[in-house]
Amino acid sequence: MAVSERDVLDALRPIQDPDLKRDIVSLGFVRGVRVEGAVVRLEIRLTTPACPVKDKIRDDAKRAIERLPGVERAEIEMTSEVRGSAAPDKSAIAGVKNLVAIGSGKGGVGKSTVTVNLALALAGSGAKVGLLDADIYGPSLPIMMGLTQEGVGARGDVLIPPVAHGVRFLSMGFMAPGDQPLIWRGPMAHKALQQTLFGAEWGELDYLLIDLPPGTGDVHLTLVQSVALTGGVIVSTPQDVGLTISRKTLRMFQQTRVHLLGLVENMSYYVCPHCGQHDDIFGHGGAEKTAEALAVPFLGAVPLDRHVREHADRGTPIVIAEPEHPASVAYREIAGRLAQQVSIRSFEAPQVSIVEE
Amino acid sequence: MSVARSADPRAATPVEIRKRPGGARLAITWADGHVGEYAAVYLRGRCPCAHCVDEITGERRVGPLQIVPDVTLLKIVPVGNYAIQLEWSDGHRTGLYSFESLRSLCPCPECASDKP
Repeated sequence: MAVSERDVLDALRPIQDPDLKRDIVSLGFVRGVRVEGAVVRLEIRLTTPACPVKDKIRDDAKRAIERLPGVERAEIEMTSEVRGSAAPDKSAIAGVKNLVAIGSGKGGVGKSTVTVNLALALAGSGAKVGLLDADIYGPSLPIMMGLTQEGVGARGDVLIPPVAHGVRFLSMGFMAPGDQPLIWRGPMAHKALQQTLFGAEWGELDYLLIDLPPGTGDVHLTLVQSVALTGGVIVSTPQDVGLTISRKTLRMFQQTRVHLLGLVENMSYYVCPHCGQHDDIFGHGGAEKTAEALAVPFLGAVPLDRHVREHADRGTPIVIAEPEHPASVAYREIAGRLAQQVSIRSFEAPQVSIVEE
Repeated sequence: MSVARSADPRAATPVEIRKRPGGARLAITWADGHVGEYAAVYLRGRCPCAHCVDEITGERRVGPLQIVPDVTLLKIVPVGNYAIQLEWSDGHRTGLYSFESLRSLCPCPECASDKP
């Protein structure tokens, strides 16, 4: 006798999503179960294409079904649909499911390089990704993305972000004429941020990453007051996490109720190009300890490597230029963990409803 | 920005914010189950904006005595994840009320009794 759809679902119930800590059946991940003689076909729809445990869930599910009497083979299609966690209010950007701000306590920690590589790694997993450069003090992202102001399209007053390496991109720096330096007061930064967030056609995005200026200032305040962020990520070097500056950024996130998705340690260690020896120039592991002390997820560490900078300077960041480089592998792992944290958040984030009687 | 008095983050996390008919009162249901009702004039008189509170000295410039007693709430606008902006019938609309401050302003007898 052939198994029923119910038997299949029951067999899958012991399989848990390790992040959401619930079984994949009650989470609604299992879809379209079809029993065709001794073959069972189904779809498992995860919450992100960047899921690091995708293969494990598929293998566990396959094994559980093939253990059922009368089943010879399970054919499982792994798909994904990113859940949105933006609050239902005017501050949501149409079509954008998750807004993630990336900040740092101080400049020079490689925040923009980390951000661009994470955006490309997420896009490489199949997600729809946008990147907004809000770092008005040192807009280096256009160089890393290989895009200029001229690439920005327009439909009436609406900006159309250009696409590079599969990622839609805008820079607040594009709002300034030509090669003028950005000497902006708060209200101008506010206006440029509003324009690039709400006055642009971002389209359907799973993740919009926003590269913040270092520290805490006008752009941060405008951002947290204008949109409901899914969360924030803090990039630091092993050296500066010990200082209080990263903690200041952390406190700003906390005070404005921005959920901290995790810490990334950049320039974590140096691999000597001549002998291959690891050298912990800044004292490796500081961010991980800080993350632990603050009860915040540690997303991963990126090595200090001249190739990371060289590829970024040429407009093809390392994740694209050298996908097998250790730094690229690290970036993909960090992107996966970030996507996991966003998924967890989309299930847990408190939703406030506003009612007018 | 005031700091939550309670260690439970749910105490400053609203689940529902409700404008009562005519805007005479605002009701908030918090994630810890607590429900607070605020008279419009009470909240308007505690507006935290830079016009109503001196930015340097922290001294209140516009308080309950300067507010028309029949002021009503017109609109609730969410601000990011942490506050709401309230628009009042007297035209004032610059105050951002953080969830923390709203919880500590809760006028119910239970909350009022543990205020200094």
